[in-house]
Amino acid sequence: MGKQRYRITSYIIGGILLVFLVMALLVNTTSLGENTWLRVFFGVSALNFTLRASVPLILGAMSGILCERTGIINIGIEGMMLAGAFAAFVAKTSTNHWPLMSSLLFGVAVALAVGGVMGWLHAVFSIRYRMDQIISGTVLIILAAGISAYLFDRNAVAEGKFGAIALPGLSQIPVVGEVLFTNPPLTYTTLILVVVIHIALFYTKWGLRSRACGEHPRAADTVGINVNRFRYMNTIIGGMLAGLAGGFLVLEAVGQFQEGMTAGRGFISLAAMIFGNWMPFGAMGAALLFGYTQALQNELLLAGVTTVPRQFVSMIPYVVTIVAVSGFVGRVRPPAAEGKVYETEGGSE
Amino acid sequence: MKEKRFAIVVSLLLVFTLLLSACTATVPAAPAPQTGGGEAAPAPAANIKIGLVTDVGRVNDRSFNQSAWEGVKQAGTALGLTEGDGFKYIETQDSKDYADNIQQFVDAGFNVIVTVGFALGEATTKAAKENPDTYFIGIDQFQGEALPNLTGLVFHEDQSGFLAGALAAQLSKTGTIAAVLGTDLVPPVVAFGTGYELGAKYINPDITVLTTYHPGEISQAFVDPEWGAATAKQALDQKADVIFGAGGSTGNGALQEVAAAPGAGTDVFCIGVDTDQWETLPAAHPCLVSSAMKLITPSVIDLINNYAASGTMTSGNYFGGAGLAPFHDFEDKIPQEVKDKLDEIAAGLADGSLTTGYQP
Repeated sequence: MGKQRYRITSYIIGGILLVFLVMALLVNTTSLGENTWLRVFFGVSALNFTLRASVPLILGAMSGILCERTGIINIGIEGMMLAGAFAAFVAKTSTNHWPLMSSLLFGVAVALAVGGVMGWLHAVFSIRYRMDQIISGTVLIILAAGISAYLFDRNAVAEGKFGAIALPGLSQIPVVGEVLFTNPPLTYTTLILVVVIHIALFYTKWGLRSRACGEHPRAADTVGINVNRFRYMNTIIGGMLAGLAGGFLVLEAVGQFQEGMTAGRGFISLAAMIFGNWMPFGAMGAALLFGYTQALQNELLLAGVTTVPRQFVSMIPYVVTIVAVSGFVGRVRPPAAEGKVYETEGGSE
Repeated sequence: MKEKRFAIVVSLLLVFTLLLSACTATVPAAPAPQTGGGEAAPAPAANIKIGLVTDVGRVNDRSFNQSAWEGVKQAGTALGLTEGDGFKYIETQDSKDYADNIQQFVDAGFNVIVTVGFALGEATTKAAKENPDTYFIGIDQFQGEALPNLTGLVFHEDQSGFLAGALAAQLSKTGTIAAVLGTDLVPPVVAFGTGYELGAKYINPDITVLTTYHPGEISQAFVDPEWGAATAKQALDQKADVIFGAGGSTGNGALQEVAAAPGAGTDVFCIGVDTDQWETLPAAHPCLVSSAMKLITPSVIDLINNYAASGTMTSGNYFGGAGLAPFHDFEDKIPQEVKDKLDEIAAGLADGSLTTGYQP
């Protein structure tokens, strides 16, 4: 039953994607492109904007999936992202004199590391000290917001950011090449990561064990899996992914840091994760949907085709998010042991 | 036991965290007053004390607040005043504090108060009415009704934007240019944007100008570089090849995006705003051909000097200078006829033989 529904959903989503692809090809290569409305919905710029707005959401959702699949609720993605963003900014500004690429890559490395540390903190709080995981996540958000705002040097300037790299050959494909194969490096990384995480979770020993820890830790423990070690490890990796999302914002999207620049993306990632039923591709689809609504909002403003007041156009992303989440959220199922402290029988650790 | 000690350390850390985040919200923004120092300073002219209230944001924002503070600092130093004693600033943390921050200066006996930004207009007018002996300078605050002790320092942003548009239209090869702007809730931004469009159409009536304003409220519109960058990319995707970024760090995001785009400086260009952004935003160097400026710093200096010298308060509006910034590294890449055309337009706007056609 569950499997069948899953298959039907996949067909529907595949169908929508196909329609999109065909429309995008037609609009951007034929005279259909003269129609402003079609350009708003399917133009290359709308698709590029979608991808760009989705990348941090996808990474955040992947972070959430990794943590929650092993049973740790991670509400602190927002904080981990912000910490990663700030770390990337500090790393970039202190190495401005290095060659651009190495300085940017150093920024990415530091963002990953700091994200990992935040993940570790979350794991320590919620596993070792059995703190309520929601509270621990909230603490991380406050921690990141406080420290980054306090230490932020407004005179510091990050010089340069990642530019687009066109993949030879592939980028020549009309429309698809422009949207998918002419991107900055972290965007490619994100797309690859989704595939990697999907395969790792569902086709490797590690993935099976991770999921077992989130569904039925007692059973996992019985067969000799160290549940808390898995939880530690996945929360740290999850933290690194969230840190990477922050690094994306600073090093690829903007090139600067702003106080509170993650602006709730961590929470939208959580919504994408839930909407995507804790599946990597599902979460990516949800993130792309949220990104697309933002693109639509901006395209409508840029094209100036509506006489609808701007405030209503600005509502589109939120309305779609609410409708999507409230309409579908009843049908998804979180990992069974999510948020529950696991203790081995007779021991405290 | 060890467990317990660790737990205490962790909880202390968390408390400290709360403290930190509290700090950033309520940290006293004004610098600690410095003690005047023993040496006899040159006699301060007419006992002037200058206070500056910023709009929400920092005094060193590389943009608006900073230009105004530079003006106060230079004028104050020239008058022999010292920072902290003779002139100082208060950074506004929240828009509901405008009036309180102005009042702090009034209470402390400051007699020249500069308020930075359109959004402070109401609070400034009110304070000026209540304190007729204090001289107020409201930057970007157009005065509909003239008060004797309040100068609205305003600019012909439309002219500056017009020149930027004329430059953009002459550089564009695709026939499409774009403007990524802060909010249309702030009139000077609209003046910049409309001037830009009109200037571009003046050169090439068939040109496509993609103009967007930030969709959010005033409080976010100037501090959202991510939106600026993404929107600039969108404009580039729609074949725009000159992009005007006007709106604090939102606009800066747009400029940086263009600077990182393929073909920056050869096929695609960007134009900054307010100050000469070549100086303030090095990251935009690859594409930055010029900036549509409003000369806040010299205008503030003029107004303060005027008051210090003669004690006269300029009533109503004072129009500060506006124009294009130097081309810097693009000096040699911009054809002479483009420069000549810009000079011609600038001269026309100055003597009134040419109008931008902008209706506020």
